[in-house]
Amino acid sequence: MINLLLIVFIISLLYLSIANRMVTYIRILAFQGFILFGVTFLQLQEINTWNLAIIMLETIVFKAIAVPFFLAYLLKRNHITREAEPFLPNFLSLVIVTLIIVITILLANSIKDTHLDKIFFVVALSTLFVGLYIIATRRKIITHVMGYLIIENGVFVLSLAVGNEMPMLVNLGIMLDIFASVLILGVFLNKIGDVFKNVNVDQLDKLKDY
Amino acid sequence: MPGFILIVFVSLFFTGIIIRTKSLASGRKGPGILQPLKDVFRLFRKGSVYSETTSFIFRLAPTIYFSTVVMASLLIPFGSSKALIGFDGDFIFFAYLLGLGKFFNIIAAMDTGSSFEGMGASREALFSMFAEPAFFILMGSFALLTGFTSFYDIFNSIHLGSYIGYALGTMAAVVLVLLSMIENSRMPIDDPKTHLELTMVHEVMILDNSGFDLGLILYTGYLKFAMYGAIIANFFIGGLEMKVALPVFLLIQFAFAIVIGLIESFMARFRMSHNAQFIFALSSVSFLIFFGVLLIMGKLN
Amino acid sequence: MTLFYLITALLLSVLIYLNRRQILNYVLVTIYAVLQWGFTIYSCYHYKSTELGYFTIDSLGLLLLITLSILSIPAFYHSYLYIKKHNETNQSRSIYFAALVMLLTSISAAYLANHIAVIWIFAELTTLSASALIYHHRNKLALEGTWKYVFICAISITFVFIGILFLSLSLQHAGSDDLSFSNLIANADSLNPFWLRLAFLFIFTGFTAKLGLVPMYTAGIDAKDTAPAPAAAMLSSVLMNMGFVGIFRFYSVVSQTSLHQWANLIILIAAMLSIFVATVYMTKMMNIKRMFAYSSIEHMGLVMLGLAMGGIGYYAAILHIILHSFVKASMFFQFTQLYRVFQSKSIYHVGNYFKYNPAGAIVILIAFISATAMPPSGLFVSEFLIFRSMFEARYIGLLLFVLLMLTIIIWAFGKSIFKILFTPPVGFDESRVPVISPWESLSQYILLAMAFWLGLNPPQAFTELIKDAITILPL
Repeated sequence: MINLLLIVFIISLLYLSIANRMVTYIRILAFQGFILFGVTFLQLQEINTWNLAIIMLETIVFKAIAVPFFLAYLLKRNHITREAEPFLPNFLSLVIVTLIIVITILLANSIKDTHLDKIFFVVALSTLFVGLYIIATRRKIITHVMGYLIIENGVFVLSLAVGNEMPMLVNLGIMLDIFASVLILGVFLNKIGDVFKNVNVDQLDKLKDY
Repeated sequence: MPGFILIVFVSLFFTGIIIRTKSLASGRKGPGILQPLKDVFRLFRKGSVYSETTSFIFRLAPTIYFSTVVMASLLIPFGSSKALIGFDGDFIFFAYLLGLGKFFNIIAAMDTGSSFEGMGASREALFSMFAEPAFFILMGSFALLTGFTSFYDIFNSIHLGSYIGYALGTMAAVVLVLLSMIENSRMPIDDPKTHLELTMVHEVMILDNSGFDLGLILYTGYLKFAMYGAIIANFFIGGLEMKVALPVFLLIQFAFAIVIGLIESFMARFRMSHNAQFIFALSSVSFLIFFGVLLIMGKLN
Repeated sequence: MTLFYLITALLLSVLIYLNRRQILNYVLVTIYAVLQWGFTIYSCYHYKSTELGYFTIDSLGLLLLITLSILSIPAFYHSYLYIKKHNETNQSRSIYFAALVMLLTSISAAYLANHIAVIWIFAELTTLSASALIYHHRNKLALEGTWKYVFICAISITFVFIGILFLSLSLQHAGSDDLSFSNLIANADSLNPFWLRLAFLFIFTGFTAKLGLVPMYTAGIDAKDTAPAPAAAMLSSVLMNMGFVGIFRFYSVVSQTSLHQWANLIILIAAMLSIFVATVYMTKMMNIKRMFAYSSIEHMGLVMLGLAMGGIGYYAAILHIILHSFVKASMFFQFTQLYRVFQSKSIYHVGNYFKYNPAGAIVILIAFISATAMPPSGLFVSEFLIFRSMFEARYIGLLLFVLLMLTIIIWAFGKSIFKILFTPPVGFDESRVPVISPWESLSQYILLAMAFWLGLNPPQAFTELIKDAITILPL
């Protein structure tokens, strides 16, 4: 069942690469939050209940509900236009994301370790690289934040892979999530929305080496 | 043999059910279920008009198209009875038969010298190019899973045991449904009801055909639908015996037609530039199916 | 004592933030300075002990802690001058000092941490507090700099976390799950090399954002450009030292395994690229603060080069990083006075500094001599030792390349500094030049003198501490 959920997670990554509207990105993030909730429940049943309850609460409340709502609020407040403006055409993004997933699978195949469930490694690493790719190829600042949230999801999947032995690491990962996401999202995007008229990264070019 | 007869039988009603579903979904009563068939018969009785800029290819193409599809449907087994033609690697033969038909369609369209038809031909070629890996990887994964390479053997030995097996089966069915939509030029790739040549893909290629040729082409379209429905049904009626398999088959075809009708009613056609990425996404998903199969088989260590 | 220190510092920071009265703020800051020095002296006496399970006062931590405490005094003094002369509002002053206190506390704790996750937590905290400092001016440029800094540091910290996850995977083979450095070193032979490779790559890449190396150095450049100069001084001295500590501790683990040469190669590549990038950018730099920032990149590249070379290079690396902190901090502190005279960051508008502030101009001259490692500055000794280690490791070609780069940097840096000091500025209105008291430059003289003294005639205890810090590394 976990394998199934992780495969659906990867399909959501493919869908992310061809998504056109900002609202779709938010929906995919919420959907990924729900999938991670399911995976957490199935994977971490051996650790003690209190830890498990906190992690599951964090996943469902934070990743699947709070952050998407907050992103939607940001979209409305800053009057961000509907298009996600990419630098590369969507078709090329799809090809590149497929290549990323394929290369990750080939990379995972060359590991001779039996401790780690390979599919976690594949999903985590491909999510990480897809998140980096999204950051690098989109024009709007808020898509940078979404790319960062996708990287967070990938890190979460990886921490689930080691979570059974060391629940502290999963908790640390969650703390990373909350701290950094709240900081970046909450504080600064609003300020950027107030100061700059349209939130493109082209605007962030005043600090130059002159 | 029973497979072929059933496909022909279903093809008589298939498009009628689709059109009926679309009508009912938009609140009309719609034409009768046999109406498309009656249209084809009417066309058979008419004479053909051939443009002076065309050559023999234009006259030859509909016949070749029809015969390739008929031969391809001879390859589809039905449940536990073999197909009329079956050998190892026959799904590759199947794919390239259809490719041959499509090729003749394309060059016939370009033969007319009309720029609209040429445009439609190039789009058709592009979409088939992107859809081809999807089909091959899909069938290839299942060939890998079962160890056989013939349609009959594959379908008879599929054991969808675990969760991931069911998931793969569902994903394969979804991919095949979307592939059939692409092949038959239905929404959301191509709108059969549009009358603007600039937005057509398949319809525009047959603008210059008339009479018996047009009837053949239309009927071939229905046959292709029934054929794809048969492939999808075969995933589920693998080893069942005749008296169970028959109603299941008919039910799946019926459901397939209704699903296509509903998709056509509720989805708009994609922007033309989005079509390419949609079709390629199918290839990516079938790639994932391939790795899922590797995962099941434990080849992914 | 560590717990008391952390809690009191946090409390002071919160109090400074909530309080709006000037006198009370300065009293609280003074209390913090006393606390910081008290903690440092306590650490001197409790050398090699472990507190709270997660903080070990070892030689490297102690050295850098003393450096931080020495630098914190002029930092607070110059911040006070800066805020006074700039007529800041009460709220921005409170935030500034609260963030500065938070920054110094988290860096001190990170120096002493012996568990990789604890270093990670405090590195995260430094990102938060540094961003508040960078955003001090609240204009468009500051916002841009803060956004870039926070974003790149957030990604880098995530990378470090991924590296920690891989590290725990590699530790599973050894059968333990304690990620403290002593345990990692003890189990060094049984760490799975594949996961350890990945862990090293990710942790190294993540910490280069704090240290200022290729590939993540870009965050620091913009940060130091837009932050107020006293804060920028802290960012480019003690914060870079924290990045160094993170990498150094992990490197000492990796050096016990079979991946030592591979890790050396990775560090070598990053260091060479950093020196190259710094050279390229410094040749056409007009913004003084950015020029200082790129000079920091170059020095960090040299430090990591020494680390990668081994032998005498280890000693030279630590010596260099301590001396560099003093020199770079004094340069930034002097910049506050420079800006007050000329009201501009660009070399084009600055010049003839000797006329307006002779004491400060001499500081810049001495700092330039130190930063470019000309004798008799202390950095000459450390850089010479680094070059010697490169020679002994038979990397002659690389040595020649580095020397060439450094020559170009001396030229570029010197061109700018001499323009600042001797050539008349363009379009400068002389009538409203404020009078700068020479006593303001006193702190920088002291810092530079310390750099000279520690380099040329270091006290016995100092050298012993450095030697002890590198015993863990194989020769």
